[in-house]
Amino acid sequence: MDKAQQPSSFQQLEKLGEGTYATVFKGRNRQTGELVALKEIHLDSEEGTPSTAIREISLMKELKHESIVSLYDVIHTENKLMLVFEYMDKDLKKYMDTRGDRGQLDQATIKSFMHQLMKGIAFCHENRVLHRDLKPQNLLINKKGQLKLGDFGLARAFGIPVNTFSNEVVTLWYRAPDVLLGSRTYNTSIDIWSAGCIMAELYTGRPLFPGTTNEDQLQKIFRLMGTPSERSWPGISQLPEYKHNFHVYATQDLGLILPQIDPLGLDLLNRMLQLRPEMRISAHDALQHPWFHDLPQMQAQLQQQQQQQQQQMAGAYGGMVAPQQAY
Amino acid sequence: MAANYWASTQRRHWLFTRERLADIRESFKERDKAAHNQFPLPDQRLLNIYFSQQLIKLGKRTSTRQQALATAQVYIKRFYTKNEIRQTNPYLVVTTAFYLACKMEECPQHIRFVVAEARNFWPEFIAPDVSKLGECEFALISEMHSQLIVHHPYRTLSELQPELSLTSDEVALAWSVINDHYLTDLPLMYPPHVIAVMAIIVAVVFKPSQTSFHGSAAPLAGAMRDGGMNILSALTEKNGGGPPPRIQKLVGWLAESEVDIKAVIECTQELVSLYEIWEQYSEKHCKELLGRMIKGKNLDK
Repeated sequence: MDKAQQPSSFQQLEKLGEGTYATVFKGRNRQTGELVALKEIHLDSEEGTPSTAIREISLMKELKHESIVSLYDVIHTENKLMLVFEYMDKDLKKYMDTRGDRGQLDQATIKSFMHQLMKGIAFCHENRVLHRDLKPQNLLINKKGQLKLGDFGLARAFGIPVNTFSNEVVTLWYRAPDVLLGSRTYNTSIDIWSAGCIMAELYTGRPLFPGTTNEDQLQKIFRLMGTPSERSWPGISQLPEYKHNFHVYATQDLGLILPQIDPLGLDLLNRMLQLRPEMRISAHDALQHPWFHDLPQMQAQLQQQQQQQQQQMAGAYGGMVAPQQAY
Repeated sequence: MAANYWASTQRRHWLFTRERLADIRESFKERDKAAHNQFPLPDQRLLNIYFSQQLIKLGKRTSTRQQALATAQVYIKRFYTKNEIRQTNPYLVVTTAFYLACKMEECPQHIRFVVAEARNFWPEFIAPDVSKLGECEFALISEMHSQLIVHHPYRTLSELQPELSLTSDEVALAWSVINDHYLTDLPLMYPPHVIAVMAIIVAVVFKPSQTSFHGSAAPLAGAMRDGGMNILSALTEKNGGGPPPRIQKLVGWLAESEVDIKAVIECTQELVSLYEIWEQYSEKHCKELLGRMIKGKNLDK
């Protein structure tokens, strides 16, 4: 935007997917040859520029971080808005489908992805921004093994007031129990819950709580994490969706459904998946967790693996592209 | 609103020196001297007062939060650093800034509602076609380079309230001083925390009870000038017998904080001159001059 680019500065390549409010194409900068993702937003005369787009663009203009997808440019034309993003190869969902063993990833990759995810979340939270819609489809991966947060269409800044948030956010499967119970005073901890669900999914290749409705989602959570009560979670019975006749489940050991996870990883995961929002670990503290202490050694190992994989990939498919929605 | 002020686009792209602002305005004038002579407008601050009153009208029925109105005022200021007012329809710009600010501050209004409200107040200047508002919104976003997040002093004020043990009267007065600073160029010139500190000083030095704002501003302006002197002298000679303990405490805090005292004093002076010029404000006069300009230049088409 600062350089007043034209849409013609970019060669439009194949469609990558349909985002929440836009179509995403792969593109190439005609001058530099650099690949980009072009997110085209159509303007509606009844709404002007969509609020989601406005929110996303304005936040992305402020949030510059290595674990957040970069917005390079915003191009205005007669009847559409084109956002030019850094190009990423695929989203985490697709990555797991194509890379992992039935979706499961290896320890080193999981740790590296979780570390980058928590760094991105910590940066958002330090800047008083909630992402609100973290899920594998919104996390983007590139060939260098970098993971970045994308799709800030539902993100919001948390200034004042905090009590008027809409509770219609976050895809059901990654939605925190406090939000499911109708709390409208949620905060940064909702992103941590989502991150916990994602961590478990990295190990198993399957969503941890694939609920179909609000109640079903809560039930799936309670069946594993135990049904909370006024004793374990003071104030819970005041939440709008709280029912006194919730089926009472005992707390299960997460380690049983995640046999591959090591004790430190399990400890971190348990701290992220606390039912009570105040009990959930912060992104900042999570980054200090001992589970991440051996990351440097593991990363060295990971780099070797990636080099091997890249050599294999280059042979198998030259630049395969998976559809992406996360921009 | 969000994100860190120090790394923000507001700090990097939307802070101007007084000289820079004067240059920009002078260059607009140079470019179209005829229009400036033919369509004189009131002092910028008087126009700002007028715009702010129009925004309040727009926000009244939906009791829009003050912060959204403040954001709209900043948008209007930013827009007019890029565009000469005599080439725009200010009523459309005010309405659009309101519409966009409501979206940004998460209290969105439907486009039809906003246009209907605007037509209700200024039927001769706002077309019924809602797409005009959409187009103008587009222009506003473009001119601001999509840098729409505005940091306001209100948050610093609430953060400092406990630290400086401010009374609720003092907070209320500081809040209204912050509201008033949007009528000046200060939001384009100083960081929000400097403004907040200025507002707190004004509130603590001038007890809320002794002044009624916005009507008779002149006595207040005088009092503020003296008060500003008090603070200045207290800062320079720390052991003087000078000001009462309440103010001394504030001065002590200021000295320890890393707030730019000189900037705070400049802001106080800016506010003093706002209250002085406020005496000359006439809604009717602003309305007439703007109306003549819009009709004369066919800007409502």
